Amino acid sequence: MPPKADSPEESNTSPFFTIPAPLKRLFDKFPLTTYPANEIPQRLRPHDNVNQLYVFADAAGARHGRPSFNPQCLKWQAYLKFVGIDFEITSSNNHASPTGSLPFLRPSLPADTLNPIPSHKLQKWAIEQVHCEEEQQLNLRFEVYASLLDNRIRSAWLYMLYLDSENFDAVARRLYVNPTTSNSIVRAALGHQLQQAARDELLKTSRYIDAADLEGDAGGAFEALSTLLGEDEHFFGRPNPGLFDASVFAYTHLILDDTLGWKRNRLGQLLREHPNLVQHRDRLLKFF
Amino acid sequence: MVLQLHVWGPAFSLPSIDAQCLAAIAYCSEVLPQDSWELIASSDPSVSPTGELPALQNGSIWVSRFRNIVDYLRQYSEGAWNLDQNLDDVQKADSVAFSSFIESRGQSLLDLSLYVTSQNYYANTSPAYGSLLQWPNQWILPPKLHSAAKTRTEHLGLSSLDLQAMEDQRKREHSAAVAAGQIPSNMIQQPRDTVSKLLGRTAQTNQFRLEALTADFFEPLEAMLARSKICLLPADDNNNPSSLDCVALGYLSLALVPELAFPWLRDAMRAKAPLLTAYTERMRSRCFGDAPVEAKHAFQPTAPASLPWRAPERISVAAVGTTLLGTLADNTPFLREVRQNRRLKQAVEADSAFSSVEKQVLSSYADSSNKDMLLSIATAVAGTAALVGYMVHVGLLSFSTGGVQEEEEFEEDAGVLQVDPGSAADFLGAF
Repeated sequence: MPPKADSPEESNTSPFFTIPAPLKRLFDKFPLTTYPANEIPQRLRPHDNVNQLYVFADAAGARHGRPSFNPQCLKWQAYLKFVGIDFEITSSNNHASPTGSLPFLRPSLPADTLNPIPSHKLQKWAIEQVHCEEEQQLNLRFEVYASLLDNRIRSAWLYMLYLDSENFDAVARRLYVNPTTSNSIVRAALGHQLQQAARDELLKTSRYIDAADLEGDAGGAFEALSTLLGEDEHFFGRPNPGLFDASVFAYTHLILDDTLGWKRNRLGQLLREHPNLVQHRDRLLKFF
Repeated sequence: MVLQLHVWGPAFSLPSIDAQCLAAIAYCSEVLPQDSWELIASSDPSVSPTGELPALQNGSIWVSRFRNIVDYLRQYSEGAWNLDQNLDDVQKADSVAFSSFIESRGQSLLDLSLYVTSQNYYANTSPAYGSLLQWPNQWILPPKLHSAAKTRTEHLGLSSLDLQAMEDQRKREHSAAVAAGQIPSNMIQQPRDTVSKLLGRTAQTNQFRLEALTADFFEPLEAMLARSKICLLPADDNNNPSSLDCVALGYLSLALVPELAFPWLRDAMRAKAPLLTAYTERMRSRCFGDAPVEAKHAFQPTAPASLPWRAPERISVAAVGTTLLGTLADNTPFLREVRQNRRLKQAVEADSAFSSVEKQVLSSYADSSNKDMLLSIATAVAGTAALVGYMVHVGLLSFSTGGVQEEEEFEEDAGVLQVDPGSAADFLGAF
C-alpha cells in the first residue's frame, strides 16, 4: 500500500481503504520466491536446419506436405518444389506474417533467421539459392499472360469461393473460418468480413458484380492459356516447370480438386473444356 | 434503328475522359458504317440501366462494358461487324491476354496519373469533369471517381503522389506527438511545406517506383509492336486494327495526349516506347479525326465532324431527384449495403443470357444477402433497445442483477456487427 493510505485523515474518512494489521504483516512478506523468466517456447523453432514455409493448410496436410488450399500459397509452394528447394510446410494464418499476408518463408541459414522472406521476395531468394532462371526476362509474354491469372481468373475465383453462398458454406467456411474458433458468433462475424472483403475487391474494378461476365472472362482466359500451352509439357516450352507453371497450377489444381467439396463448380466445367490444361495439372500434381 | 453509344464526355482534346469509352468509340468508328450509329456524351452512368459507361443502346436493349459491346455487335450483325474474324487461335489468345494486361496495368497508371497525383487532379482532371458534367453530378461524381481511383491503386504504395494524403499523415503524426506529451503544444513549430518543396521531394522518392511500373507496362507492348510494325495485332494483311488495338488506343491515348501539370506518364512513354508513341498518334488520328476534340463538338454538334456526335438530352428534374436520392442512400449506412446487393441482382435479372436456373440461384443469393442485412439491422435495433432498456432499468433501480446479462448480450451483438475491413482485406490480399 502507498504510505498515503496509512495517514490518519485518510483512514478516518474511509474505513475501506486501510488494510487490517494482520493482513498487512502477511503481505509485507511478499514476494516469497521469485522464479526465473520462462524460456522461449520450443515449438517456435522446430527444425532449425530446414526452411520453413508458412502457408494456409490443415495440420495433416502440413505434415505430409500436401498442396495448400490457398492459391497464393500454393503458387509459391509449387514453385519452390519445382526449382528443387527443400522446405517444410507450417500451417499458419495472416496474423503470424510480418507483412500481414501468407506465404512467407523462414530460411534455415542462421544469418537470415531473424528476417522472414515475404512472398514478393521469394523468387529472388530462390534464384540466389539454386541459381535458377528469372523467367520473366526470358519471354515478353510472361507478364502479359500472368495478368490473366492475376485479374480475370482471380476475380472469378473470388466470386466462386466467397460470394457463391453454397460454395462459401461448404468450402471457405470449413477451410478459413472454422479452424480459427469454435465460437459461432465469431465465426459468423469472420464469415461476413470475408465475404464483404471479396465483394469490395470485385467492386473496385466495376460498378456491379456480374457473375456471367466474370465466368465468361475466366473462360476466355482459360482458352488463351490453353492455346499458349499448346502441345508442350510446360509453359513457354521449358524442359522443367517454373514460376508460370506454378501460377497456373495454383488455380487449376484447386478448381479441379474435388476433395475441397465444391457445390457449384462453374470454373471446373470451363477448365475441363481444355484437356491440355487438365493434363498439365495432373503432371505437376506428381511433385506432391 | 440507329445504335447509340453513350460515353463519358470529351476532355484533354480526346473524345472521352475514360479509357474504356475511348476504346468503345474507336471500335465503333472502325467497325460500324458511317451513319448507323450516334455518339452521345451523356457523362452520367445512370442513363443506362446497367449503371455503367460505355453503354450501347439499341432501342430497349442496353449493353455496357467494352467486351460486351464487341460481342453484342458481332451477334447483332450476324458476324459482319467484327474486327477479329480473321485472327487465328494464337492471335486470339494474344488478344485476350494483352487486353487483360493493358486493362489492368494501364488502368492503374491512368489512375495514378490523372487522379492520385494531386496536382494533376486539381489542375486538370477535376476542371475537365466540371466542364462536361451537368448539375448536380459535377459535385457528386468527381469525388466518387477520385476516391475509387485511390482505392484501386492503394496496393502500389504510391500514396505519396497524393499531397492531400501526405498532409493528413503529417497532421496525424503531429497530433500523436502532442498526445504522447513529447512536445508541449505551444512549443511546436508549424513546419510549412511549400508545394514546390513537397513536389521536389515526392518526385525523387517516387521516381524509382514509377520507373519500374511504367517500364513493366510499356516494354512488352513496345516489343510486340516492334514485331508487328503497324498495329499491335493486325486484323488482316492490310494492317487494319483489331479489337486489341482499340483497347490499346483507349488507354495509351489517355497516357499520351493530356497536357498535365506533372506529366510523368507521358514523359515515361515518350522515353521508353517511341514506337508506341508514334503508333498511338497514328491510331488517334485514324479513329478520332485529326483535329483535337473539344467539349463543344459533343454538346453543340455541327454537321461535318469526324465522329457522329449527337447532343445529350437536358437533364430532367426526375433524373436530378433520383441522383440526389441515390447519393443520399449511398452515404447512409445499411442502405448502402442493401443497394450494393441490389446491384448484383438487377444485373442478373436484366441479363437475358442467363438460364432460368442460374438466374434463380443468383437472385436467391442476392435475396439471402439482403436477409442477412435485415438480420443485422434487426440485431442492431435489438441491441440498442437492450441498452436503452438497461439504462432505464438502472435509472429506476440501481444494482439490479438482471442488467449485467443484458449488457453482455448487447456486447455480443456489437461484436457481430463490427466490421473491420482492414483485417479482412489483408486476408484477401493473400489470394
